[in-house]
Order: sequence, then structure tokens, then C-alpha cells
Amino acid sequence: MGGQRAQVIDEQRGQAAPPGVPVPAGPPPELVFKRRLRPLQVARELWAARELVRALAERDLRARYKQAVLGFAWAVLTPLALCAIFTLVFHRAVKIETGAVPYTLFAYLGLIVWQFFSNTMNQGALSLANNLSLLNKVYCPREVFPLATMLVATVDMVIGVGVLGLMFLVFWTAPAATFLWVLPLLVIQFAFTYGIALILSVAVVYLRDVRHLLPIITQMGVFATPVAYPLAKIPQRLQEIYVGVNPLGAVIEGYRKALLYGDAPDARMTLIAAASSLVFLIGGYLLFKKLETGIADVA
Amino acid sequence: MSRDYPAGTIRTEQVWKRFRADQQRMLLRDRVEQAARRLRGDRGEDWRWALRDINLHIEPGESVGLIGSNGSGKSTLLKMLTRVMYPYAGVIDVRGRIGALIEIRAGIHPDLTGRENIYLFGALLGLKRREVAGRFDDIVEFARLGGAIDRQVKFYSSGMQMRLGFAVAAYLEPHVLLVDEVLAVGDAVFQQRCLDRMREVAEQGTTIVFVSHDLPAVQSICRRGVWLEQGTVRVDAGIKDALAGYRDSIEAQSEASARVGEPLQLLKYEVRGEDADDTTLHTDEPVTVELTLGGDYRGDATLHLGVSEGTSSPIFQISHEIRMTGGDHRVACVIPRLPLPRGRYTLWTGVYSIGKTDGGTLMSWHSAGQFDVFGPMLDTPPRAVVMAAPVFVPHQWED
Repeated sequence: MGGQRAQVIDEQRGQAAPPGVPVPAGPPPELVFKRRLRPLQVARELWAARELVRALAERDLRARYKQAVLGFAWAVLTPLALCAIFTLVFHRAVKIETGAVPYTLFAYLGLIVWQFFSNTMNQGALSLANNLSLLNKVYCPREVFPLATMLVATVDMVIGVGVLGLMFLVFWTAPAATFLWVLPLLVIQFAFTYGIALILSVAVVYLRDVRHLLPIITQMGVFATPVAYPLAKIPQRLQEIYVGVNPLGAVIEGYRKALLYGDAPDARMTLIAAASSLVFLIGGYLLFKKLETGIADVA
Repeated sequence: MSRDYPAGTIRTEQVWKRFRADQQRMLLRDRVEQAARRLRGDRGEDWRWALRDINLHIEPGESVGLIGSNGSGKSTLLKMLTRVMYPYAGVIDVRGRIGALIEIRAGIHPDLTGRENIYLFGALLGLKRREVAGRFDDIVEFARLGGAIDRQVKFYSSGMQMRLGFAVAAYLEPHVLLVDEVLAVGDAVFQQRCLDRMREVAEQGTTIVFVSHDLPAVQSICRRGVWLEQGTVRVDAGIKDALAGYRDSIEAQSEASARVGEPLQLLKYEVRGEDADDTTLHTDEPVTVELTLGGDYRGDATLHLGVSEGTSSPIFQISHEIRMTGGDHRVACVIPRLPLPRGRYTLWTGVYSIGKTDGGTLMSWHSAGQFDVFGPMLDTPPRAVVMAAPVFVPHQWED
């Protein structure tokens, strides 16, 4: 009955497969969907979503501020506590040599960078997984979620830098005149961090148990990165490979030279770090964009 | 191919979508196992088509209802139109700004206030901050939040949370509005508000695609119906024809499921008019329903009769106590004035035992068959107003 009626209607409208005619077993292969990335379009879309990035970061910041009595103080307390421990262990016990620079200042500078990285990595990795039900309903460029977590970490970093300013006062020294070198190093730091966050965020969606790796990476990373010690502690012949894998090593070392010692960052190391972080960023972005098409299928 | 279609056009060409049918968990070790299997040449993949060869062309300003049973692919298609999901093959082209009228409680942050969440939603839906600010009062009014707007959302009732999420989406001004099953939540007043809002939007020339199991609601909004069945378009026609076809198919399925082994069976039924041989029924005239029941059961029972329009709009139910004596039993019910307007109706029946001796079903509730009624058409309600039950009420107007 229904079938008969359907057929008549279909003929009238001239659309839709009549139920009598079987649908082909599969789609023609030339129609299979392929993700094409047009860099200009991607950039335009991301730019259009800048308010969303801000709104998401604002959500996290406001929520944190409301939940916690101490609010933004946490942004400072964690690195300060670590800094105190490092000063006790590495400075007093292991006797790390930092020259004329106070060790506390030396370690705190590294901790700001590390804290920024580990915040972005940990929050960014879960940024898609925590919003899956949203991703299933609302369209927006997906990369805004890890980007928003990096923005939150940036706010924390700015607060941390404020405390660094206070430390300069306490130790009665000033940033060295070479401090403008900080700017290119910041770009490397952001590029690498975002690349890692992109890779991990999409990995956690597809492979849920990756999230259990995060604490391990965080725990090991703080010691595997020259946060508590100078880059020179890593054997000379391995340094280039090391910086290639972990550009943060060169970034932290560069900050110390520029801000504390009054030297330009090592050009070779900085270039390796820049190249490496670019590979992480572009590779991570491509991976992210390729896998993003399937997020709603596995959510 | 890439003609310049005006904003509000929706086009799908040979769209296919498949999902994994095999058990697949999202863990790293499963992927390792899978890779090992693949090395041995066993792909071990099993796919199920969710949508097959969907071709639709929707003009700006059309209102289309997507209907079909669970798992027919409605929501999948809608997700692909929203661009949340990507097709396996084919072309999907939606022109203009897309608004999805969806329940986005998922995005609500419980620690933020209603006001803060509204701005967040706005951003999620692609609105600029000042655009949200411009509509802020309308949104609050629509969601009936009033004084609660600066309270943290975790102190809202679930109804308030739902309305909050919905209200922002309702005040988008999209070229294409996609609506998925929003009416399942919220009270009757809010449902009517949603329908009213959809009507307003439709009248401004927005294209609407509406997915719902609430068929009367779909009928009240949409002019065109697309009936999906097992991932293919079964019917694409005017909403009445599409709904009629869909309802017929549900009925056919429910009749097909036989009730074997029950103590009582419906042997025969007849619905007739005033004279014994007059099988045409007329509005506001006498009707007799005669049933013959058979079976071994002895004792008292309650016979229930029901009438629905299609299968989803129940109209009335009546019941009667009968005494079964172990043989065939004939029972007739006379309705002196049939309160049904013109249309096709389904007769439902079931018999249940009285008391606790047998406790339960003697003949389960099922549709016995259909009958047509001749008479005046029901007056059409305004758009976006659902007429749940078609009942003919004798009336006179005076000016």
C-alpha cells in the first residue's frame, strides 16, 4: 500500500529512488569524500572563530575563578611551589651551577615555560574529548578547542611573568638588555605547544587510553626538559638531537641567556628548535584536520 | 555543477554514509591488535550503511519534515547538513548561514551564570558578541528566565537549563534552520513557543528541515515530507502524502506481528453505518462496531476499543465488561453520533482479565484494521499549531 503510493508520488516529483528500483550496492568510487584543505579557507575560518576562542577561554577562566577560593592565585602557586622544591633539591643538594644568576630566578624562568606547556598539553589533550557532545551538535573549526586552552595557559603565563617581575625586584637585578630575543623564542614556544596539543587532542578522541599517558609525560617532562638545570648538562654531541625532539630545551635556554645572562640565544640551537616546532605544528595540524572529519562518527 | 544557488538552498547528491558495525573500542591496544590482524591480511572490518544514495534538492524557504523509524538515518543526515559529520561519499551543499535548533545543554557550564552561558552559546553558534547583546532581551524572554539570569546555571531546574540552551539557537537568523527532536523536552507551553518560533522563521523565508517523531508537529510546520527508510529516501512528497505512506507502513508492521498463543482471538470485526449492510460511515451519524471473539477463556474480562488517526494520534477509547463462556462471543457497540471528521482511522482492540485470577492480557492491544469516514473536513489550524486529535464537534457560528 505504502509502496504503491510512494511510486506514484515519485513519478510526479521526478526525484528520489522509487522503492521498486534497488539502490546501488555502493557509491561510485569517484564520489568518495576526500578531505581537501585550502589553507586560505582554513585560515579565514579560524579568524572568523576568534570570538569563540575568546569565549571558550573566558568560560574556563571564569569557571576556575568561581570554583576556587584562591582563583588566579593557583596560576602562581604551582610554579612557586615547584620552584621552592627545585631550589632545595637542585641548588642545595645537587649543586647546579648557575653563575652569577640566583638559582631561584633561573629555575622559575624555566618553570614558567614548562607550566605553560604542561597546562596546554593536559587541558588541550582533553579539550575535544570533554566537549564531544557539543562537537556532535555544533559546527565550528575544531582546532579552536585546543587553541582556547592555550589561551588560558597564556593568561596563567602572563600572571607568572608578573611574579617574575617581582622576583627581579627581590633579587635586585634587572632583565638583561638582550630581552627582545624573547619574542622569536615565544613564537617557537607557542608553535611547538600548539602542535603537541593538536596531536594529543585528536589522539585522545580516537584512542581513549592515551589520556593515561598524560601524567607520565608531565612527570617525566619536567625533568627531561632543562627546567631545573641548564641545557649544558646534556652531553654536547646529543644537544642538537635533543633540541630537535624537544624544542622547549632551546627555548628555555634562550630565555635565560636573553633575560638573565645578557647573551643572544645560540643561533644554531634556536634554528633547530624553530624548524622542529614548525614540523610539529604543521604535522599536527594536518593530522588534526584529517582526523577531525571522523570525530562525530566515533563520539 | 557548481551553479550559484541562492542562500537557503540545500543540495545533496548521491550521499552515502557508513558506520562501523563491528565491535570496536577506542583504545590503543585495540588498534594494535587491529594492525596485527591487518598484517595477516584479515581486515576484519564490517561496515553498515546508514545512508545510501540520498539525493535531495531543497529550495530556499521550503519547510521539509524528515520522518522515518528509529535508525532510518534522519539524524545522520541532519548531522551532515550541520557539517558536524562528513559523508563517506557524495556532495553536500548547504548555502548560507546554517542554524541548528538543538538542545545544547551539553555546552552549558554549571558554574557560569545564565548571562555568561548565553554569550558562550552565541559564540558557539557563530554569533558575534554584539549580535548576542542586541537580542539578549528576546532570548531571556523566550527562555522565561527572568530574574534567574545572573544566577549560576547549576542552580537552574533542568527545564530552565534546556530552555536556556534552546533560546539562543532560536534567535539565530539563519538561512537554513535544522531542527532535531527538540520538542521531546520541555512542557507544552514551551513546545508551543518553539513551534511558534519555527513558524515565524519559516515565514521570513528561512529553509527549515525538521526531524521529529512527533508527526502532528511535523505536519503543522512542514509542507514537504521526506520519508527515510533504512537509509534511503522512500517517499519525497507533500507532507500529507509522505506522512500517510509512513503511517500505513507502521500499521502494516504492527498488524504483521501476530499474536499467537493468546487465550482470546479476534475472529471478525465490522464497522458499519445505520443499516446492517451500509459500510460507509458518515460524520455525526450512527455507527456500529461489531466484534466476534473466540477462545478457551471462561470468565469476566474487559474489552477495550480505541480509535486513532494513523497510529500516532489516539482519539478516544471505550471499554465494556464481557463474560466469556469458552466459545465464540459476539459483542456490538453502538455510537449514536460518530465524532470523527473525514479521514482514515484505525480501530484498536484488546481484552484484559478482571481480578487477579489470571492477571493480565487475554488479547493484547493491537490494531484490528482501518475504516474510512466521509463527511466534512476538519478546519485547518493556523501553521505551527498542532491538532493532536481530530474530533468533529457539531457547532454553529454567530456574528
